Amino acid sequence: MAPSVERSFTAASTLEEAMAARRQGAVVLAGGTWMMRDPQRGVDLPEAVVALHRIPALSKVEIEPDHVVIGAAVTHAVLGRALHGAAGFEGLVAAAENAANPGIRRVATVGGNLCALDFAAADLAPALLVCEATVELETFEGPKLLGISDFLKDRHALLAEAIVTRIHLRRDLVASAHIRLPLRKAGDYPVAIVSLAVDKDKRCRIAVGSVEPVARRWTTLEQAMRAGQASALDPERAAGLALEHNDFQGRDGREAEGWYRRQVLPPLVKRGVAALLKTGGLA
Amino acid sequence: MTVTFQLNGEDCSFHGDPMTPLVDILRRERFLTGTKAVCREGFCGACTVHVDDEAVPSCLKPIGLVQGCAVTTIEGLSSGNQALHPLQANFEAADAVQCGMCFPGMVMSLSAFVRDNPHASRPEIKAAMVGNICRCTGYERIVDAVADCLDQARKAGQSVGGIHV
Ligand SMILES: Cc1cc2nc3c(=O)[nH]c(=O)nc-3n(C[C@H](O)[C@H](O)[C@H](O)COP(=O)(O)OP(=O)(O)OC[C@H]3O[C@@H](n4cnc5c(N)ncnc54)[C@H](O)[C@@H]3O)c2cc1C
Ligand code: FES
Ligand code: FES
Repeated sequence: MAPSVERSFTAASTLEEAMAARRQGAVVLAGGTWMMRDPQRGVDLPEAVVALHRIPALSKVEIEPDHVVIGAAVTHAVLGRALHGAAGFEGLVAAAENAANPGIRRVATVGGNLCALDFAAADLAPALLVCEATVELETFEGPKLLGISDFLKDRHALLAEAIVTRIHLRRDLVASAHIRLPLRKAGDYPVAIVSLAVDKDKRCRIAVGSVEPVARRWTTLEQAMRAGQASALDPERAAGLALEHNDFQGRDGREAEGWYRRQVLPPLVKRGVAALLKTGGLA
Repeated sequence: MTVTFQLNGEDCSFHGDPMTPLVDILRRERFLTGTKAVCREGFCGACTVHVDDEAVPSCLKPIGLVQGCAVTTIEGLSSGNQALHPLQANFEAADAVQCGMCFPGMVMSLSAFVRDNPHASRPEIKAAMVGNICRCTGYERIVDAVADCLDQARKAGQSVGGIHV
């Protein structure tokens, strides 16, 4: 059953220990829900891994009056519970509570969701984009802070010499929502994801996941919603603007073709704005 | 690498590749074949076991991460000589099981769920089952049996938490 190679497995208890293993070539293992499927994808499991679950600082969520810090090894289930009821984070909670299935959510981590390269349907990516999260990395040169948009764009290169340690969020949102479209009611990857948030200046932020290879902000729609006198937060108007400003190139994939992912965006925006209007901060 | 853990209440150790999925050790080394490896991708739930009391897919759990943990499989939920777990008894009474392939995983997922959610509603029961695929039953009888189980426990003033190891 087991291959004859002697695989190296380090359960680091400090970040320093984890970085030392990384320098020796070990690959980060978090919950394993992505990595353990490498053999199915025809990829060999790494010869050396370093597990993060024993590093206490990476497994906690700190909630302060003006900011929140999420350890990279926090699971989806723990994140959903920790932020449940925290005003402004409704979207992030929905992302953590509805991704995958309950068994996976108990194991899969925030860091793993953001660092699974080539995984386009990560729910936490658009949810954290509208929070304008900052990603903290420990690199071979020391700690580094990076906006989530830049992190997602450059993660292939960045992760070659780094561990994601924490995600920092300001508490400047009054409401947020996370709308996902799986083909079945639950359990499969979403075809398209729209995350929305409204900040204290009443500006609407919108991000899209799973439609293109990497999640990104929908800046043309954000700008269009800001322009004009009519209330930006009208579901019909938002859907109309989404149709007009749909600048996405849908990716073809197993669950759906690119044109379909692109085409479902306006109705998802409409649902998202309707959900925003129902949250405590805007109702 | 040597990994030590508790398996159904007994000390257990494994020597070998730390990235071996837990399900393979259960089935091939411990002959605990109640745990099924069906999709090996986290989608079907047939391999669900409890690790430190949490229901998780054992196909995606490298044994290296199980060091020091307590693992309970369907065989540990109730040995043949003891009363069945109330959920198992309800499934049997409701004739909910057809081919049975999904049921060890279904029981492991739902036994943790009923323990933690004694007042669960029908939609909550359904939401707890989305990671357990059944190709035979159409699910409704399973949901009925879980709802009955919770109902009986509430009437008796008991929790459905007892795991007989
Ligand atoms: C059945 C199933 C359904 C799913 N459905 C969804 C869904 O609907 N929505 C969704 O968003 N996701 C879904 N997923 C994907 C799941 O969320 C990811 O597999 C998970 O988030 C990965 O986290 P992990 O902790 O298991 O990571 P691992 O598998 O341990 O690691 C994943 C990758 O990230 C790297 N890595 C992990 N942590 C760090 C870190 N801190 N620093 C640097 N690199 C790191 C690892 O080296 C590896 O390359 C699904 C998965 C399964 C199995
Ligand atoms: S075999 Fe593990 S979830 Fe299907
Ligand atoms: S009873 Fe056959 S798969 Fe569920």
